[in-house]
Amino acid sequence: MEALRVRMSCRGALLGLAVAFLCSAGSVQSFGQSQDSEFTFLLPAGRSECFYQTAIKNGTMEVEYQVIAGAGMDVDFTILSPNGVRLILESRRSDGVHVVEPMEEGDYEICFDNSFSRFSEKMVFFEIIIEGQGGDVGGDDEFPGLEESDGSLLEYKLDDIRESMDSLHKRLERSRQMQTVLRAFEARDRNLLEDNLWRVSFWSCASMLVMLCVAFTQVSTSVGTFTPFLSTQCKAEKVFALFFMFHPLSLLL
Amino acid sequence: MVLSVPAAAVTLLVVWIYPSYALYFHIGETEKKCFIEEIPDETMVIGKYRTQLWDKQTGSFLPSTPGLGMHVEIKDPDTKIILSRQYGSDGRFTFTSHTPGEHQICLHSNSTKMALFAGGKLRVHLEIQVGEHTNNYPEIAAKDKLTELQLRVRQLLDQVEQIQKEQNYQRYREERFRMTSESTNQRVLWWSIAQTFILIVTGIWQMRHLKSFFEAKKLV
Repeated sequence: MEALRVRMSCRGALLGLAVAFLCSAGSVQSFGQSQDSEFTFLLPAGRSECFYQTAIKNGTMEVEYQVIAGAGMDVDFTILSPNGVRLILESRRSDGVHVVEPMEEGDYEICFDNSFSRFSEKMVFFEIIIEGQGGDVGGDDEFPGLEESDGSLLEYKLDDIRESMDSLHKRLERSRQMQTVLRAFEARDRNLLEDNLWRVSFWSCASMLVMLCVAFTQVSTSVGTFTPFLSTQCKAEKVFALFFMFHPLSLLL
Repeated sequence: MVLSVPAAAVTLLVVWIYPSYALYFHIGETEKKCFIEEIPDETMVIGKYRTQLWDKQTGSFLPSTPGLGMHVEIKDPDTKIILSRQYGSDGRFTFTSHTPGEHQICLHSNSTKMALFAGGKLRVHLEIQVGEHTNNYPEIAAKDKLTELQLRVRQLLDQVEQIQKEQNYQRYREERFRMTSESTNQRVLWWSIAQTFILIVTGIWQMRHLKSFFEAKKLV
């Protein structure tokens, strides 16, 4: 009985230690991980890709997307709630911003559909910003388990400083997100411009070749077709032959 | 009482060892999913993923699938492969960019046995952290012995540095954009001049050829 109790208490202590260790390891893992994610991915032609985002109850989710490359530069966009209700459906848009609020418990499904396009692959950029109930996720408890400086006399001032630094941090994050969006816009314009450059070169070359071919064909066909007719003695026939040689529609006859 | 403690420990284990990553998607067996990250140079990128396999018997996704790994391939803006490695069912890959531009991160599963995918799909939780988001602040605090406020200041400094790097990269991109635009304008100009010139030359050639043809046939 005594031995059993000692063994149980030993085991309990070990378990407690393991739990404490895991707790600290877990707190490091869960530290300050922003729930915001942004991805740029390739959407092949005729395919549909879906991404799932786990929701925080009563939080806000902002989804922004942009098509940055691909002929047509448009894609179908859908957001489905965890219960399967289609909240947002957009057809063939090149960019959009949507806010889902308040959020239900579960996984939201965000889909990009390129089935209407048979050949062109699209590059889509999207960004999901999640905010908890009272502001951003990972607010005050971002650095748990750290020793706080002993500012018992300066407690009030330190709190002020801490608050302004927190707000600065959030605003800088927002600046980064804005930069990301601007970068996506610039990437889209750059892809469009590079496509234009290639198109200008190609079509100029093609049209010049066509021009030369047509000139050569015109001369050789008209000369070749009507040479026999010009050897007649009859003047009227000669006039007819000359007329048909130079009338462009005669080539179609 | 004896059973509840291990049960609680197991629950805590599950909660802490498997933190929920932000976004997940489904991938087929031979499917390759590619993500593009446009980053400035000397920027560290950490990608973390976790896979789950659909289990037909329980009708849900199993937490981990040993033996099923993912092959990760990363290409730099010059399409040169900088990382091509196989990882397990939970993996973490990291790289630092040396040239600014679009880096491509491609994932595909390495499963050769159809049986593992009998249910259909593999669920992949993915998180990609760029720049100062890769810094592990508790570790930095422990190493440099910083208080909370000092750590916060360090974080703000890193953020501002990353914003500055992005802005420099933006300047470099804008210069490239301007060069491409000027090159397009020049090409339009020169091709138009060339086409007009060739048109005139062809016209003259046509006239002269036909004139000599008529003179030969004694029509003129």
